[in-house]
Amino acid sequence: MKKIVYSIIAAFTCIAGYAQVNSNLILMAQPPAQLSEWGNRREVLTLIISSPGIIIDQFKIKAEIKTVDGTVIANTDLAKAPSFSSNPSGTTLLFANDVIPLEFMMFTGKYKTALQRTGKLPADNYTLCVQPVRPVDYIALGEVHCRSFYLANTQLPILMKPYNEEILDQKTAQTAITFRWTPVIPRQTSPVTYRLQVFEVLPLQNPVQALRSNQPLLDKEIFAATQYIWQPQLSFMADSSETKKMPTFIWTIQSLDKDKKPITQTDGNGEARSEPLIFYVNPWKNRKPAN
Amino acid sequence: MITKKAVLFLFICFVWSYTSAQTKPVSFSVSGTAGITYEGYGLNRSPSGWTGYSARKPWNQVRFNFTPRFSFGKNFSLPFNFNFSAIPTNFAGPYAGIKNQNFGQFITNPVNSFGLNPKYKWAELQLGTQYLKYSDLSTGDIGIFGIGFDLRPKTWRFKFFTGISQEAVNYFAGPPTVTGAYKRKNWMFQLGKEEEGKYLFAVNFAKGKDVPTSAAPPPLTIRPQEGVVISIVANAYTDYGIYFKAEAAQSTFTKDVTTPLTSLLRGLKPFIEPHTSTITDFAGQVAAGRKSNNFDIGINVKYIGAGFQTVGYPYMQPDRVDYTLNTRFNAWKKKINVTASVGRRVNNVNNTALKASQFIGNLNWFTQFNEHWSLNVNYNNFGFLAASGMNPYGIKNVSNDFGVNPSFSWTGKKIIHLLSLSYNYSKYDERDVMTGLTTSNNTHTALLTYVPTYLEKDITPDFSALFFYNDVPGVKLSLFTLSSALSMQAAKKKLKLRGQLQYTLGKLNSFKNNNNLVASCNIDFKITKKLTWNTFLTTNYFKYGNEITPNGASYLESISRTGFQYKFDTKK
Repeated sequence: MKKIVYSIIAAFTCIAGYAQVNSNLILMAQPPAQLSEWGNRREVLTLIISSPGIIIDQFKIKAEIKTVDGTVIANTDLAKAPSFSSNPSGTTLLFANDVIPLEFMMFTGKYKTALQRTGKLPADNYTLCVQPVRPVDYIALGEVHCRSFYLANTQLPILMKPYNEEILDQKTAQTAITFRWTPVIPRQTSPVTYRLQVFEVLPLQNPVQALRSNQPLLDKEIFAATQYIWQPQLSFMADSSETKKMPTFIWTIQSLDKDKKPITQTDGNGEARSEPLIFYVNPWKNRKPAN
Repeated sequence: MITKKAVLFLFICFVWSYTSAQTKPVSFSVSGTAGITYEGYGLNRSPSGWTGYSARKPWNQVRFNFTPRFSFGKNFSLPFNFNFSAIPTNFAGPYAGIKNQNFGQFITNPVNSFGLNPKYKWAELQLGTQYLKYSDLSTGDIGIFGIGFDLRPKTWRFKFFTGISQEAVNYFAGPPTVTGAYKRKNWMFQLGKEEEGKYLFAVNFAKGKDVPTSAAPPPLTIRPQEGVVISIVANAYTDYGIYFKAEAAQSTFTKDVTTPLTSLLRGLKPFIEPHTSTITDFAGQVAAGRKSNNFDIGINVKYIGAGFQTVGYPYMQPDRVDYTLNTRFNAWKKKINVTASVGRRVNNVNNTALKASQFIGNLNWFTQFNEHWSLNVNYNNFGFLAASGMNPYGIKNVSNDFGVNPSFSWTGKKIIHLLSLSYNYSKYDERDVMTGLTTSNNTHTALLTYVPTYLEKDITPDFSALFFYNDVPGVKLSLFTLSSALSMQAAKKKLKLRGQLQYTLGKLNSFKNNNNLVASCNIDFKITKKLTWNTFLTTNYFKYGNEITPNGASYLESISRTGFQYKFDTKK
């Protein structure tokens, strides 16, 4: 009797050990360029492991990132990578931090250098291939699943006009000021909303301080266009004859996605605000400053 | 803790040395200002319930400034820099959306400054809010509340400062949404040698670190970060006006300190441990040229690596190379003044993005033909070109601006007359990345100004007429503005008055005209030699045509600002 029981247990163990698990890899077509950001956003990568009726005791995920020509530029250090056990319900969900743990991924050549310097890979098309394997001998437990993705770092707009430290004529500026900037690159899947903000720099403030503390005189959302004509409807007289300071302004563009969220939240200031520029309005053109 | 003790010791030392060194009464003087300003904002929209125009100022705001400089003898000075507002008005940055601040947030809010810089000879103690610029690539844009020093014995430079640049702000779903922020601690240090006008050599260090547990609930989209920058600055100047300036910097920045530690990436121990989100990159800039009375020429090159990031310049855009050539010269007995620059900016130095290139060219040419005639001509060009990526065409935006401004003046018996005409043509071409079609956006601006200056009266009026026309496919906008201003003095020059009236008639496509009237005045009244009462009032009435719904909507907004400024002045 005992022999029969042992035989049944051994058979189950054998089936479990070599059981073919089903898996499905879901990967965004254009994930964030910053690889460390993949782990913070569950929608970027999901690997579904299913083994109906069988509990897989331990398994690891072997991951490879390849270029279009099939060259492997990164793979998992399986000796150090964490092991997982399947969910008793039969379906296990793994995310980017589990599938491509950056601390255990080995990148090669220029890709390693790019990752060290920028946290990103060079802009290009890549393929991610994953496969569940046994932890000890790395024998495959399922099929290899591959998905292509495109990586390109998002470049925020560069402000063009008024250019930095441009001095505008008071009379013209009181009627209209034209703002221009470059579009977000690469072109997004949905049109970008550009939030144009103009802040007055008060006496005793420095420009970035004004940007971070004042209510903007202009706060306008512009849909998919890179020019805006502002009619300020303000008087740009010098504030006080004591200061003898030209009215000073700082302006910037915040790039928003279709949900009105900052288009990049992991780069730079995290607000998707472009590097601001300063402009002045000269109230004394054609006349001497007040004494 | 050690730092605080060291700074305290230093402070005691120079107060002791100052007091013990006094054998005879020292002179005392105060300069600077103190004041209070109230600003009120009003907005009435019609019809009631219409929200198509938003307030652009806080309804009420009170601002205080207290910036006296106490000087005790030649060697000791005590400057204050206290500027603060009663109501927070943050729209960008870590405090965006905050309404109720605790004491720590009030102190560190960028709208407020509380700085004190006692200085004895070459030793300056820095207390409270300080905006310290060490260099262009290390730190300079951020105000930090803390403690530090700036020591300049002979040609040596020792600077240190530590403090908090932002307090924690809890996330709030709203409305209105408060994004939230982590508390950020900062350290900065400079060691160098400098002889003003001759050379500067300095090593800068700047670090910022967020406290991950400081905000509850934490920000949803912002990660706690940590960054270190080390830079070397070398500047040299000669007696012949030749200068050379260079800076090289390396940043190590962790974009998310909650990511796992790793040995696969470079950190900068002991200052920063490498995480999987740590990046290390470089930046550098070089400027060289010559300056003289009649001729300047200079070249600037700036490189910012794609992974270069510093907490001292939060809005710096990385991944670019800029190079520009600037010149200025005078000719024809200084009757011709020319300034010009030409340059290029290239993005995507590290190939992590699509290639983008921007051409920049500016020219301003002023000629004074004789005592009556002058002419100013300017031309600006910005061209932007990006690779197509996944689209059929790349982005191509080209902006060209050309302006000409002749002026004629003549003198009568009692009046100097000035007549100035300015015309500007601006063309902005934008290519559609899917169709390849280019859209042209043309703007014409013409301004005529007449300014009579009375030789025997304290009154200066001016009159101007402006026409603005913008044409882009589907949209034609024209604006016609008449404006006049007047400035005068009264009450034995104790009262300075400036007023302005401006009317604009606007037309969008075939809609009915819209109308805008702006009236404003500025009154400065010198109550005593040291006390001034400044008042600024402006009102703006705008009535739409039928270009928006509801047709004929209008708004009236007003800004009234009044305040007293006291000028400290003990000099006789």
